[in-house]
Amino acid sequence: MPPKISIWRHLKIGSFFDFISPIKINNASQFSSSSRAAFGGVKMKRVSSSTSPTLLAASKAAALERRRVPQRVGTLAVKKEMTAVYLPNGQRIPCTILQLDRVQVVAPKTKKEHGYWACQVGLGWKAPKNITKPMLGHYEKFGVAPKKTIKEFRVKDENGILAPGTIINADHFVEGQYVDIWATCKGKGFAGGMKRHGWAGQPASHGNSLTHRAMGSAGQSQGGGSRVYPGKRMAGRMGGHSKTIQHRQVLKVDQELGVVLINGPIPGPKGGIVSIQDTIHRPSPVVPEPHIVVSM
Amino acid sequence: MMSGPSSLRSMASCWTSLTQSLKVPTLLKPTLLPTTFTRNFIVAPKREKRRIKIHPPIKGPPKNPLQALTTQALQTLDPNGTRQKMFSRHNKDSIRPGDIVQVRRRNGDPFSGVLLNIRRRGVDSAFLLRDHLTRVGVEMWFKLYSPAIEDIDLVQRKAKRARRAKLYYMRQPKHDFGSVANVVKEYTRRVRPTQRQRK
Repeated sequence: MPPKISIWRHLKIGSFFDFISPIKINNASQFSSSSRAAFGGVKMKRVSSSTSPTLLAASKAAALERRRVPQRVGTLAVKKEMTAVYLPNGQRIPCTILQLDRVQVVAPKTKKEHGYWACQVGLGWKAPKNITKPMLGHYEKFGVAPKKTIKEFRVKDENGILAPGTIINADHFVEGQYVDIWATCKGKGFAGGMKRHGWAGQPASHGNSLTHRAMGSAGQSQGGGSRVYPGKRMAGRMGGHSKTIQHRQVLKVDQELGVVLINGPIPGPKGGIVSIQDTIHRPSPVVPEPHIVVSM
Repeated sequence: MMSGPSSLRSMASCWTSLTQSLKVPTLLKPTLLPTTFTRNFIVAPKREKRRIKIHPPIKGPPKNPLQALTTQALQTLDPNGTRQKMFSRHNKDSIRPGDIVQVRRRNGDPFSGVLLNIRRRGVDSAFLLRDHLTRVGVEMWFKLYSPAIEDIDLVQRKAKRARRAKLYYMRQPKHDFGSVANVVKEYTRRVRPTQRQRK
């Protein structure tokens, strides 16, 4: 029996010899040290030229295949406040309220046209006078009201694409499921080493003079080349950048209030925009009812 | 600015100092005929501006979901509203900072102490009690609506209403109340037996 060759085996192992299998080897140059000659004078191709469907591990297409992308589209939400939820056994779980404010699918992105599957999702509303004409044309094309923010969410394939105008409500998520979250954390401005990197600083007393929060030494002297190495952690701008939180549980979903309660704190200020999508660490959740509502 | 077919642009630009209006050349392409020559440049006929259609926004969710969530949660956590009433600002007989309060827990010993602080945060409301155990000052935060709390008793009122909301000055030795054990013992002897019989 010939051994079963699956595409995943080739992708995961990624050994050098996987490249050889789909290509016929010329006897004459079989033992040549030249890599090209080893393949029988055939130029290596990313995708096998034989009938084998094997995708070569080093190709871009294989990398795209390997990438973990959720099945379902994610949503934008507004971070409201923190509160707590009590379990029946009396355990208190701090959680964050996220509100899905008029979240709608604006535009789909297809593999044929754009090279990947995704949905552009918009949140809130913005006065048309504050929106550029090209963007107004974009909203007009897809029949959606002007949005405060729009963001793209990658999906695995065409099954995850929703029609433009589809309203994504809180029941997009299921209680108990896990999500990944992106948000921009609060900016702290120019911060010293102690605050930015958690350094210990110097003692308050014992003869210390005017150096209590300094960064200390930046490296060796002559032994280290008398220079500061690249990437040395120092004082500088802190916060104000995007943060990803993975695998957080959805504690509660309220369709009427358009609210999703997420376990624990979430980066960013109150009123900040947060992106949520099914976690890549678990299979897609089973949604009890179809949530699709197309406006107009 | 120029407006008109680009093929005629060079011709128009060399006629800068012309004072008389030009006549339309007869050899002009039929597609350009609607254009009219004025002084020294070509003006295209005015086109109606296309108005971008703006779709109306959909209806949004309520702006303050926290309030609704709080009332929703309190229906299960505090169905009779007794604890809400106990700490309500509108209730004359509510528990206030400075009072001595006893908390009986589902698991663990009861704790009593002087109420230093009420932190009002809806479902997450809490209060701080201070007592002395083995002559060491001990403070404990309790979540008002936690199911782990069985009962909250008002042991003794402060003689005179505290004039501030946070009584952190009571941590100073000068103002420290000390142990409330004796006050609570008195209260238990006086009040609790009757409660027990009722239960």
